[in-house]
Amino acid sequence: MPFALRDGLLAPVPPARGHVLDPGSLRRLFLDLLGRPPYPDESKVWSERERSELVAELLSSEEFWANWLEEQLYYFLLIDNFRPTTEGVRSIPAELAGGTLGVREALHRICLSSSFDRRNPGPDTFVTVVMEQLLGLVVQKSARELEIGKKLYDGKKGTFLGRAGSSQADVVHVAIADARTLEHLLQREHERLLRKQASAQELSAWVADLERDEHALRAILEAWFTSPAYDQRLATRAPLPNRLFVRALFVDLFGRLPDEGEAQRMRSALDGLADSGPLRSLVARLILDSGKAHVPERAAIDDPAAWIHGLFERLLGRAPSAEERGAFSKSFSDPACRPATVLYAIVSHPEYQTW
Amino acid sequence: MAAPDRRAFLRDGALGAAALGLAPSRAPTWRRFQGPKTRRVLVVAFAGGVRTRETLGAAGNVPNLMRIAEQGVVFPRTRATNLGHFGATLSIFTGISEARGIRDNIRGTDPTLFEYLRKDLGWTSSDVWVSTSGGAQEANISHGLHPEYGPKYGANTLDGDGIFNAEFKGILDAYGRPREMGAQELALLEKMRASIGGTAKGALNDVDSVARVERFLLDELRRGTQDLKGLGAADAKAFRVARNLLAVFRPRFLAVVVREADQAHGSFNNYVQIVKRNDEMLGELWAAVQSDPELADSTALFVLPEFGRDADLNSRRGLDHGDGSDDLNYVSLVCWGPDFRRGVNVQEEVRTVDVCPTVCAMLGADARYSRGQRLPRLMA
Repeated sequence: MPFALRDGLLAPVPPARGHVLDPGSLRRLFLDLLGRPPYPDESKVWSERERSELVAELLSSEEFWANWLEEQLYYFLLIDNFRPTTEGVRSIPAELAGGTLGVREALHRICLSSSFDRRNPGPDTFVTVVMEQLLGLVVQKSARELEIGKKLYDGKKGTFLGRAGSSQADVVHVAIADARTLEHLLQREHERLLRKQASAQELSAWVADLERDEHALRAILEAWFTSPAYDQRLATRAPLPNRLFVRALFVDLFGRLPDEGEAQRMRSALDGLADSGPLRSLVARLILDSGKAHVPERAAIDDPAAWIHGLFERLLGRAPSAEERGAFSKSFSDPACRPATVLYAIVSHPEYQTW
Repeated sequence: MAAPDRRAFLRDGALGAAALGLAPSRAPTWRRFQGPKTRRVLVVAFAGGVRTRETLGAAGNVPNLMRIAEQGVVFPRTRATNLGHFGATLSIFTGISEARGIRDNIRGTDPTLFEYLRKDLGWTSSDVWVSTSGGAQEANISHGLHPEYGPKYGANTLDGDGIFNAEFKGILDAYGRPREMGAQELALLEKMRASIGGTAKGALNDVDSVARVERFLLDELRRGTQDLKGLGAADAKAFRVARNLLAVFRPRFLAVVVREADQAHGSFNNYVQIVKRNDEMLGELWAAVQSDPELADSTALFVLPEFGRDADLNSRRGLDHGDGSDDLNYVSLVCWGPDFRRGVNVQEEVRTVDVCPTVCAMLGADARYSRGQRLPRLMA
């Protein structure tokens, strides 16, 4: 299937088959919801079942909310040395999954963490980031509010965004209470998950839902993931972010997720390159040559064509074309081609690095 | 001109210009721009918010920068804008004042200097590099999303601290060395890869470049860059990687973007120490250029912060950036090049966004969307 990998652009892939999940749709849905591809046993269980069942199950899981929290921390660039380590933030996924915490309060905790303060030092930076990242405002167009916010930060009384306050914490309280925070959250989540902007009307309805019930995000997400708009998202590919690439590579080659240190260091290294392709390729090669990856011995592969077919379905979410089948089978028949070479050809290819 | 006199002149001129608010004069005074000797350009964004007071105003902090300034052209009244570190740094490379969110982790919409150079001059990705210490956000400097330019004209951008650190090296070391592939295995690998779908059209690196960069990364992980430690280590790595990039790729344009001076928010002393260390590393980089016969006679250098810092200390005995003072809004731009004048202070007001069109003009490219102007009184 020809496709063009272009920064920020989407390229077509085959449409999903109704609401039953084909391997590609299943892989993309898992990446969207859990930030990882399915394990083989999960693929087996879910391959012929309704998407709505899977969505409902995954949205109830702590793993989904853990992935959601990671996305929020990355959005605020609370990563590496600035990653919050307090129990209040670490417990967010469990509390969101258990229904004892709403998303507004979750954001509140993140922005009141000492990590957020360290990441955004000084009144100008702190208030600017609250206004930009939480509320989606352009501070250059809200210079007066910025100055008032800075006064609050310094302990002086003022009316910031229409609400009274007199402390650094009040800057956050006021912003969190503002409906624009929910609107901005929903818009960026919609863009992340459905890859398109929501209309003002849709946003307004969802914000109203969340204002009425702060646990309503799960229902909103369930509606998104079972909508025709998500069918369109499933029919597109975009470059895989570095965090998801690392998680996918570990699941696909090691059969496990990276631990926190591995995930953080690898993502950080890949983020350090405008084109992370060369380092992705190097990491994949090192893993495959390490003797620790799940790479079968050549002698254990009874049916090379079936093995290659399975690799394409598992790693690329689709069956190989006749040309691909021919090229891979012929190459693998040469003793110089190891099983690891076949895996490396796939995971270092740009198609593997899209979702 | 004797060095001490020039030094005092630079200090007084820089601080005086910043304090007095000299009237701007934008009269174009260059005679020609495409210098016959300049074939390479190095731009050092001495960023993170650095005041002239702690650089040219305090010679002891930056002996290497002073030495370059004494022999080059200094613009002590270079107008910057407090757009946040990312936006202000990006502005240097697009030639457009870029209002970006402080934590925006997205690409800009305007073409960059790198894209102008690569598109107009037909340069490859290996010809244009950026070595940074700014992490995920800084990699976005590589290229914009302008429809006429974009990733296929971007700069290879590398954050040394993210890659060359002991923890990441430890993870890779646990996997061992990659197995060397024989020619036959490599050919089969390429055959299989080529059969999958299409190629990555519009990618920054082609297949050959990917292999070269991969090799560089592997070698660099074994060179000891990750052993640079202590205050300002991330910036030091950016300089060290830049030096090694010069040796390996011989880029025609290389930018170094450092950011750790922003520790000034919490500690003035740390800020000064970082400025000093960055000056040492700048000296090391410049010595590498000067000791290479091919580079010494053909490389021009521009050094400037993205903006300064507040005039007064904050309550934590640090320096923020938001008071709108001249200390914040004016920085010193230092230029040295084989085609530049020597030992000159230009008191006219210029802007940080002027670097992009100046560099492009010198090398023969057209920064057509830039809103900056070529620097006056630069060329000999």
